[in-house]
Amino acid sequence: MNASPAGLVAMAALLVLLPAAGLPPYYLHLSASAFLLATLASAWSLLAWGGQISFGQAAFFGVGAYAAALAAMHGVASWAALALGATAGAAAGALVSAAALRLSGAPLALATLAFAEIARGIAINWERLTGGGAGIIGIPALPGPTSQPRTVTYYLALFLLAATLSIFGWMARSRLGLALAAVREDAERASLLGVNPAAWKLCAFALSGAVTGAAGGLYAYMVRVVAPDLVFSSWYSLAPLIMATLGGPRTALGPAAAAVGLYLASELVLQPLVPALHQVGYALALIAAILFLPGGLGGLAGRRRNAAP
Amino acid sequence: MPLLEGRSLCMDYGRVRALGGVDVEIEEGQVIGLLGPNGSGKTTLLNVLGGRIIPTAGEVRFDGALVTGKPPWVFGRLGIGRTFQIPRPFAGMTALDSALVGVTFSRRRKLSRAADRRREAERLLAIVGLADKAGARASELSLGELKRLELAVALSTRPRILLLDELASGLSPQARAEVLGFYARLRDRGVAIVAVEHSVGTLARVSDRLILLSGGVIAAEGPPSTVLASPRVAQTYLGDGDE
Amino acid sequence: MASGFALTLGVTRALNLAHGEMIVAGGYLGYWLWAGSGLGPLWLMPVAAAALLPLGWGVHALLRRLPEPRELTSLTAGFGVALLLQDAMRALWGGDYRLIADSALTASLRLGPVTLNRGRLAAASAAVAVVALLWVGLTRTRWGRAARATALDEEAAALLGINTDLAGRTTLLLSAALAGASGVLFATLHYVHPAAGGPLVTVSIVLALWAGIGRMRSLLAAGVALGLVETLGVAWSGPGWRETLVAAVLLLTLLARGGSLARGMTAGGRAG
Repeated sequence: MNASPAGLVAMAALLVLLPAAGLPPYYLHLSASAFLLATLASAWSLLAWGGQISFGQAAFFGVGAYAAALAAMHGVASWAALALGATAGAAAGALVSAAALRLSGAPLALATLAFAEIARGIAINWERLTGGGAGIIGIPALPGPTSQPRTVTYYLALFLLAATLSIFGWMARSRLGLALAAVREDAERASLLGVNPAAWKLCAFALSGAVTGAAGGLYAYMVRVVAPDLVFSSWYSLAPLIMATLGGPRTALGPAAAAVGLYLASELVLQPLVPALHQVGYALALIAAILFLPGGLGGLAGRRRNAAP
Repeated sequence: MPLLEGRSLCMDYGRVRALGGVDVEIEEGQVIGLLGPNGSGKTTLLNVLGGRIIPTAGEVRFDGALVTGKPPWVFGRLGIGRTFQIPRPFAGMTALDSALVGVTFSRRRKLSRAADRRREAERLLAIVGLADKAGARASELSLGELKRLELAVALSTRPRILLLDELASGLSPQARAEVLGFYARLRDRGVAIVAVEHSVGTLARVSDRLILLSGGVIAAEGPPSTVLASPRVAQTYLGDGDE
Repeated sequence: MASGFALTLGVTRALNLAHGEMIVAGGYLGYWLWAGSGLGPLWLMPVAAAALLPLGWGVHALLRRLPEPRELTSLTAGFGVALLLQDAMRALWGGDYRLIADSALTASLRLGPVTLNRGRLAAASAAVAVVALLWVGLTRTRWGRAARATALDEEAAALLGINTDLAGRTTLLLSAALAGASGVLFATLHYVHPAAGGPLVTVSIVLALWAGIGRMRSLLAAGVALGLVETLGVAWSGPGWRETLVAAVLLLTLLARGGSLARGMTAGGRAG
């Protein structure tokens, strides 16, 4: 999806001015959540650019959330806590990548899924650290005008999204992007040309983990509670998948837009109509996207090589 | 000291022995032609020399240093380039980006600015006559163009030695003549070459030395005139010789 | 439980991530049937199995249209279907936990020095019986041969005149039926709730990976082995870790395999 610069600027201006226009806090919170989801989708696209399909983004989200939450509870300043969340996410990303180096395609996806599950399990069981199944409650709010906490989180979420989209744009044009694209298309040939696939793949995972972790940290401040089933929910692994499938491969803008659109549509339209089934919309969208969108996931994951002897 | 050498190279695939003890030396700037019927081990030898596969036994040395078993990117960064018999382009990338990969990551050029690297990649495409196809993707290129892209990508690492797998095969006579021109120009620039070609005549014309492989071992070796006059060639080589 | 998943994986190269939810659905159906009719769970198995057939049909229709690489796209689609089923079940039956607590099953049986729970014994026997039936079906019937051929090499099988599409559909139907039946069994031993499907499919994946494609007997052995690992792990670290343990086992299996999903399959493509 290629958006014209003018259109982007207009959109950005609109988004920045929205709170000033007097949007009620509930909708600010909703928008912030939409931005977070869009950030997750973009972070996922970072990995998909390199041909790595992740089913376990929730691991990074949760790790970031817990890291920030724990820091906040120990009195760390909010900006530092958020940075910590990003760092924790990056570390988790590097760990996953290092472990799953030899994997690609479906096994990699399953491995990331397993990682997310393990992370969740650790959060539930390591009670001393994480507070067990109940999690951590009472996370302090972000500094700022206490009368408008939702506004603060709105802007932060918007900022994070903008930053993530910029990172993606930078990546696509950088050496990292070139290396990842080459590895995606033909890892063997890329390595014969001097590319060390493992190193670049790890970079991608760390970057994606960092962004997702930051989003998790912000989430902790937004809802003031972290719990295993909350932040390690497979929803945070599935959502970016759906958005990226819908929004198109090789870009971050498409998935981000899909995320915002779908989330808001689901919350504002479906939820009031059919409260029990509103998540069904996502599932249907995913299936429809796989079936009808050309390129789909096959295009995302790169080509399969016929062994040329 | 030879630029690239293989000693006692053996390659087994299960019970199939693709290479059974091959010694080969390539000096700087030399052109070696590799002959042999299908299945004689030519491509396997290229794969081993290029670091694509690790031999079951034997050594590969580059500039005297042992490189057997090192990861493929070490070979690339040392300056060993390779084309593939069936072109394998980076399907989703433009021709320019494909050429850019080697330029960027082989570390054989000190180009720290992206614009310089880009210019270098454009230059490579121009050398193989693909300057106007810089923005095209693999699906938009003809076979001849893909083969040229293969060469450009192989050159992108600024190789000191090129392993060319059937660069001239499958092409029209006119395109084939162009390829012969490439061989000459590469040679002029001092790039060593190990070439596999289906056409014995082509090989004889471009090579300093010919090596005849049969059943994974060397059956004959020497200057083209000597090797071609040898009865071994008639014996073992079942391919067509269009001379 | 895992046999249906392994079947699907082998014959259609699809990873049916929704398999867990299908089992849970079977469990729920079983529960309501049992609560309503008072019939023994063993009789309910075929009913639940039959009830899930349309689901199998639907999943197959979806699978046919998936682009390559099938393993990956089916995984994603399965994720979606799983979510769909979860929500549907939550909407239909609420989030309550249900258990088929048939009194006949909770009694104990004395076998020499060992005291066994009758319910578990019945479930185990039923499971073994089903797998045995499956094995017979795979080896002796025409369908079975077609399925195995398709599992080995889909293109070759098609060239030989085997209707691979039909083989695939039959497999999915069978897989759904197995899920339903095993769901009933599951419901007698564990509580069912909408979100219970995740760990179940994880177990299925591990067993399918361990046992290899189409090897029913190995599947049973693998099941026992996994059960042992689980029990030992839980005994050592505590019951809360059970699901995590299975996930860890899955991870280790994947890593050990290093990129191939099963003996003879690679991440991208065909068996062989």
